[in-house]
Amino acid sequence: MMNTDPLSTTFAALADPTRRAILARLAVGEATVSELAAPFDMSLPGISKHLKVLQRAGLIEQGRQAQWRPCRLAPEPLREVAGWVEQYRRHWEESFERLSDYLGDLQDQQRPKGDDDDSDQDRQG
Amino acid sequence: MTATRIDRGSTDTTAIYSDGGDLIFERTFDAPIEKVWKAFTDPEAVPHWWGKHGTTTIVTEMDVRPGGKWRYISRAADRDDVEFYGEYLEVDPPHGFKWTFMFDVDGVGPMGGPETHVLEDVGGKTKVTSTWHMGSVEVLEGALSTGMVEGALETWDRLAALLAAG
Repeated sequence: MMNTDPLSTTFAALADPTRRAILARLAVGEATVSELAAPFDMSLPGISKHLKVLQRAGLIEQGRQAQWRPCRLAPEPLREVAGWVEQYRRHWEESFERLSDYLGDLQDQQRPKGDDDDSDQDRQG
Repeated sequence: MTATRIDRGSTDTTAIYSDGGDLIFERTFDAPIEKVWKAFTDPEAVPHWWGKHGTTTIVTEMDVRPGGKWRYISRAADRDDVEFYGEYLEVDPPHGFKWTFMFDVDGVGPMGGPETHVLEDVGGKTKVTSTWHMGSVEVLEGALSTGMVEGALETWDRLAALLAAG
């Protein structure tokens, strides 16, 4: 069993530009290892190493046939990660929106108080 | 260490960017710092604004001091309740606080990390900088890579559906 959690594994797999390029290639259809290696100035063992990382992260699947083993994208972990980060981003974006409205309402409820703004107990707490 | 600031979809009112392994939200509110501090740390104030549009927040625990725990339940009509929780690490009224922000992901377990909220008085207004310390640059970069998060996923969804059908 892995010690690291699945999301960390996915993040680590995504951190490399070559691996992201491989995923982008697979997004348009499955490909063999040599087809994947072609655009990169990289040996087959080099590409295989990247593929192994992607596979461990569950981002790609590889066919069973011994020689011709096409790789294909497995989008689930990716969707999970992207969704998770996007949820978080929206959480604060929208909370800030609501906070601004809320603070505006508080200000409206209060009469302007002239030049004394040292009041530390301006509302019941 | 040279960290790079990269925009991550800022809006008219909120700057959203990453810097190294941090994801940062910055906005200036038209209210004095004490009010903003109260909005963040008063259990009666939090439900008025915390969470996405259409959600209701129930504060079940909120002990604003170092080592104190917090727990909010986020409720929405279209999904099950989600619990957010953590612990206050540093508290410095009204200048800010640091806490851990955690939530449970099905099949993964607790996720999240530390968040720092800094409040600054800017001529009677208050600038809030909220930072999610997500981890390494690689981790954040991986999660937010251009094209990864947005359009590409839909393409991949369609691809996955196609593959499943084939």
